[in-house]
Amino acid sequence: METPHYVAARVQRALAEDERTTELGIRVDVRGEQVYLRGQVSCDERRHQIENVAREAAPGLHVHNEITLVEVREPGEEEHL
Amino acid sequence: MRELRIAAVADIHLGEDLRGHYRKKIEGIERRADVLLVGGDLTRHGTIAEGRVVAEELSGLPIPVVAVLGNHDYHSDHNQEIVDVLRDAGITVLDDEGAVVPVDGVRLGVAGGKGFGGGFAGKCASEFGEPETKAFVRHTKDIAERWRRALKELDADHKIVLSHYSPVKDTLMGEPPEIYPFLGSYMLAEAADAEGADLFIHGHAHAGTEKGVTPGGIRVRNVALPVIKHAYTVYCLNGDDC
Repeated sequence: METPHYVAARVQRALAEDERTTELGIRVDVRGEQVYLRGQVSCDERRHQIENVAREAAPGLHVHNEITLVEVREPGEEEHL
Repeated sequence: MRELRIAAVADIHLGEDLRGHYRKKIEGIERRADVLLVGGDLTRHGTIAEGRVVAEELSGLPIPVVAVLGNHDYHSDHNQEIVDVLRDAGITVLDDEGAVVPVDGVRLGVAGGKGFGGGFAGKCASEFGEPETKAFVRHTKDIAERWRRALKELDADHKIVLSHYSPVKDTLMGEPPEIYPFLGSYMLAEAADAEGADLFIHGHAHAGTEKGVTPGGIRVRNVALPVIKHAYTVYCLNGDDC
């Protein structure tokens, strides 16, 4: 089995460099045959694309997509400086 | 002098899949703010098509919009075309320069640009060794020098630095310390501290924190969308009653 450390590095690079994702802020952890993806993105489509690219970069491993959607709320209270 | 209400956001990462979404969130911004500052990473891939989406989302607002690009906006090597598209849409884009935005008789000076990395005092890269390392450090050094000059030349009542990269570590807390040198540089803070500013706005660090301060005492705010979790945040300068 490939060393998990290098699998995680490969998935992380793929997420950053693949044109379908270009996501730099996704944390990738590999434990045995399990790959965990964590972070935040703006829409469901981007979340799915990240999972697809991760699966391609880690064939045969089980990818857990734990990425959450950023909920952009209406502006809140202002800060006085 | 009238107080100023500064709306700020960064890392909106717009593309076709988000067309129209952000605009809905900033409708009515003129009731809350006098100007909108956008701290880079306007797009995902830095394509001209994405630049056009950004222009559509941010143009035609009743308040001035000032923006800088981020590293994502450089990815497809169309950064200059994106700047042109945004400027054609009436958005002021700062590329290592300053601009004065008049707001009801108050002159708001904004200086800045994308910025760059290198790290923070004591744990940073130096202009030494291989040409690639020297070029990396020199890029930030040149930017910081241009910002210092731009700040000095601004004739304004208030001055703000608008950047994509961070000037301090404070607002990176939450990010892995190993990547701090890719998230900002102390040289950006040094330039601002040398000439003085009321506020330093940046983005880039999605997992960072909102509030910090430069060694010289300038308030720093990381307004990356995943950090502020609002369409924008409003900072009031010079007054308690805005």
